[in-house]
Amino acid sequence: MNAAGCWKCGGEPHDSLFCKFCNTLLPPATDYYRFLGLERRLDVDVPALQDHYYRLSRLVHPDRFQNGTPNERRFSLDATAILNDAYRTLRDPVARAEYFLREEGLEPPGQNTRRVPPELLEEVFEVNTALEELRGGGESARPGLEAALARFRALRGELDADLGALFALYDRGRERDVLMKIRGALDRRSFVSNLVEEVEEGLTAR
Amino acid sequence: MSYSEKVLDHYNNPRNVGSFDKNDPTVGTGMVGAPECGDVMRLQLKVNPETGVIEDAKFKTFGCGSAIASSSLATEWVKGRTLDQALAIKNVEIVNELSLPPVKIHCSVLAEDAIKAAINDYKKKRDGEGR
Repeated sequence: MNAAGCWKCGGEPHDSLFCKFCNTLLPPATDYYRFLGLERRLDVDVPALQDHYYRLSRLVHPDRFQNGTPNERRFSLDATAILNDAYRTLRDPVARAEYFLREEGLEPPGQNTRRVPPELLEEVFEVNTALEELRGGGESARPGLEAALARFRALRGELDADLGALFALYDRGRERDVLMKIRGALDRRSFVSNLVEEVEEGLTAR
Repeated sequence: MSYSEKVLDHYNNPRNVGSFDKNDPTVGTGMVGAPECGDVMRLQLKVNPETGVIEDAKFKTFGCGSAIASSSLATEWVKGRTLDQALAIKNVEIVNELSLPPVKIHCSVLAEDAIKAAINDYKKKRDGEGR
C-alpha cells in the first residue's frame, strides 16, 4: 500500500497504519485484511476481531487528528470509514465469504441466489401453492407452511455449519475448488434465506 | 417492457391450469425452476399407453407473465402429439409464437425443459414397470 514509503519522513515502505519510524498516520490500505493486519483466513475469531476493532477505532479516530496536517485528517477519516466497513464485513460469516471470494477474483455470489436447488424444487413448489392458498384466505394451509418454515430454518442452520466447515477446510489447504464449493453453499444459503423470509411474510400478512 | 397480446391472453386466460395425480402411471410430471428469476413450473402430461399420444396436459407456474404464458402454450401444443413429436418442440417456437423479448427467452427454455422432464418422468415410470 505505502509503496513509496512514509509520506512524512520518507521511511521505507511497510504494511502498517502508522509509520514505524516517525509514528505518522499513513494512507490506509483498502484491503480489509491488510488494513486490520489480519492473516487472510476465512475462519475469523469474531470476539478478537471486535477487540481489535475497538482498539483501532480509538487509534485512528478523527478527534485525535483535529490539529493534525490536512493529510493526517484525511487519512484518519479514510481509515475510520474503511475500519467500519471492514469490521461489519468480516464479523459476519456470509458477508466475509462474499468479500473473500470477490477478492480472490471469483464472480461474486448472489448471481444465482434465486436458482432453485434441485432437491428443493418440489418443496418450493408446494410452499408457493400453500402461500397462494393462504393469501386467498385458506387458513388450512397455515400449519403446513409453519412446518415448512421450521424445515427451511433448520436447513439454513445446516448450511451455516457447512460453511463453517468449508472455511476451516480452505484455511488449511487454500484450494481453489473449496472456494467454488463455498460459492455454491452461499448461493444455496441465500436461496433458503429468501425462502424463509417469503414464508415468514406470508404467515404474518393479513 | 410490455407484454405481447398473446402473452397477455395466456396470462389472463391460462389454458390447462391444474394437476393430475402424479402417481398415476400414465402421467408424467416435469418440475423445473428458472435460475434467472426463481420461477417454478410444473407441467404434467397424460399419455395414452397404447398409442403413446399425449391426450391431456396441465400446468401450474409460479412466476412472471411470460413464464405462465410459455407453459400455458406448451400444454396446448403437446396435446395430441406423440412423445417424440412433443420432444421436438423447441423453445424458439415458443419465443416466436409469443413474441418474447430477449430478456424473457429463459421462460421459453423453462417450458421446453418442463416438457422434456415430464416425458422423462413418464418414460421412467413406463420402463420401470418391468414389461
